[in-house]
Amino acid sequence: MKINLVLELLDVPGQLVAVLSPISKLGANLVTLIHQRDNKNERGMIPVQLTVEGEQDNLQLLIDTLIEMGITILEIDGVVRKEILTTILIGHVIDSDIRDTMDKINELEGTSVVNLEVKLSDEEESSAMIVIESDFGKKDLVIARVNEIATDKNLLAVNEV
Amino acid sequence: MNICLMGFGAVGQGVAKAISLKKKEIKENFGFDIKIVAVADSSGSAISQEGLNAELLLETKVNTGSVSNYPQFGNNDIKGMDVLDSADYDCLVEATPTNIENGEPAKSLTLKAFTDKKDVVTSNKGHLALFFSELINEANKNKVQFKFEASVGGAMPILNFVEETLPSSKPESIIGILNGTTNYILSRMTSEGSSYKNTLEESQQLGIAETDPTQDVEGIDAACKTVILANSLLGIDCAYNDVEVTGISKISSEAIELASKEGYFIKLIAEVSKNALKVSPRLVKKNSPYALEGTLNMATVKTDLADDVTVVGKGAGSLETASAILTDIINVFKK
Repeated sequence: MKINLVLELLDVPGQLVAVLSPISKLGANLVTLIHQRDNKNERGMIPVQLTVEGEQDNLQLLIDTLIEMGITILEIDGVVRKEILTTILIGHVIDSDIRDTMDKINELEGTSVVNLEVKLSDEEESSAMIVIESDFGKKDLVIARVNEIATDKNLLAVNEV
Repeated sequence: MNICLMGFGAVGQGVAKAISLKKKEIKENFGFDIKIVAVADSSGSAISQEGLNAELLLETKVNTGSVSNYPQFGNNDIKGMDVLDSADYDCLVEATPTNIENGEPAKSLTLKAFTDKKDVVTSNKGHLALFFSELINEANKNKVQFKFEASVGGAMPILNFVEETLPSSKPESIIGILNGTTNYILSRMTSEGSSYKNTLEESQQLGIAETDPTQDVEGIDAACKTVILANSLLGIDCAYNDVEVTGISKISSEAIELASKEGYFIKLIAEVSKNALKVSPRLVKKNSPYALEGTLNMATVKTDLADDVTVVGKGAGSLETASAILTDIINVFKK
């Protein structure tokens, strides 16, 4: 069987070879490789498309090996891998236009708010928990955006460690 | 080894108690005598070249409020810097209160001891957070030892641990809970569903939080420790003002409840790395090493070879903090 992978590599010598070496070691065949060095994404990384042919077990092992090597896999067979991020905003979350807060997060490509829960407090300030789904590898960008919004609106953002 | 002990509050008294408890064992195991030749608090001092009795020092302090009333050797005249000139000591144990405004009197005492070619062991954070590189340079210049394990995480081993137990591995970042008071407050808010204000008051009644809790709850104490870890273990040249600090006073019971629903606790986390020097409330997974309750401190050191290593221990307490000081004293002797 075949799988199509989209990986993300650092633009440093040896990265591509390092990624390809487990393929032959696992007895799989490289069918297609598209590596365009001048086509960096917004994180300054190079997306690399691979089609690999081999036995199912070996292909799964390949994916596991790549993840273990710390390689970011963006897509497997056309399905974009997602990661989930939870954040809590404390302050005047409603008055500072919660709709706008969500829109500003959703503006990021491949990012969407999938859950929002607000708890009102006896005091003026309230808390909102926002669960955000984003394409793999975008966590830092999303956290940066959340912090930016929090600073602008004078909210406290409690992010994951 | 002759000790000059500056500061006789909770930590200083703990040191006297620890020395009294461990004197014999240290003599047997390491082959040296610890003698307290001078002790000073804000009212005066007690100085004797023959050595002061640790138990009598503690008794005098508890009964009269100052070591200056120590029988025969107590006095109200010799204070502060003058104590260092009046005693013949080998190692200064500096346990005065942390001062984050200008690091005094710890800074002047420490620099004087260095110039006089004395080793220094401290639990103080203020002068380290403000003048870390200056102090290290002065210690090196004078070829004396300067140890401060007790300044970060009390009894939790971290500085000596990384330097002496993990020398094969290079630490890349440290993420931890470095303040016991805030950890207690957040833990109680989580278990009781109580408000920040009520929980702080309860902690003050229990003596866990101080009457003026600012240093703890606003993250100042944890930020000082962040600076010490960054300089000493990660080689980042930084001072207190380089740390981005947010305390826990805005954390509501509602926020904690929301976090809990998604499987998180809220903890005051210090992040120490080349990319971030930061103390802020963060979400931590309930089953992670950061999900630590009560007044405990913890730190996860991410290293190149050993990967993640986590240490846990009591971050405060008189004898607990003294344990770290005594370890440093023993290490000073061994080198």
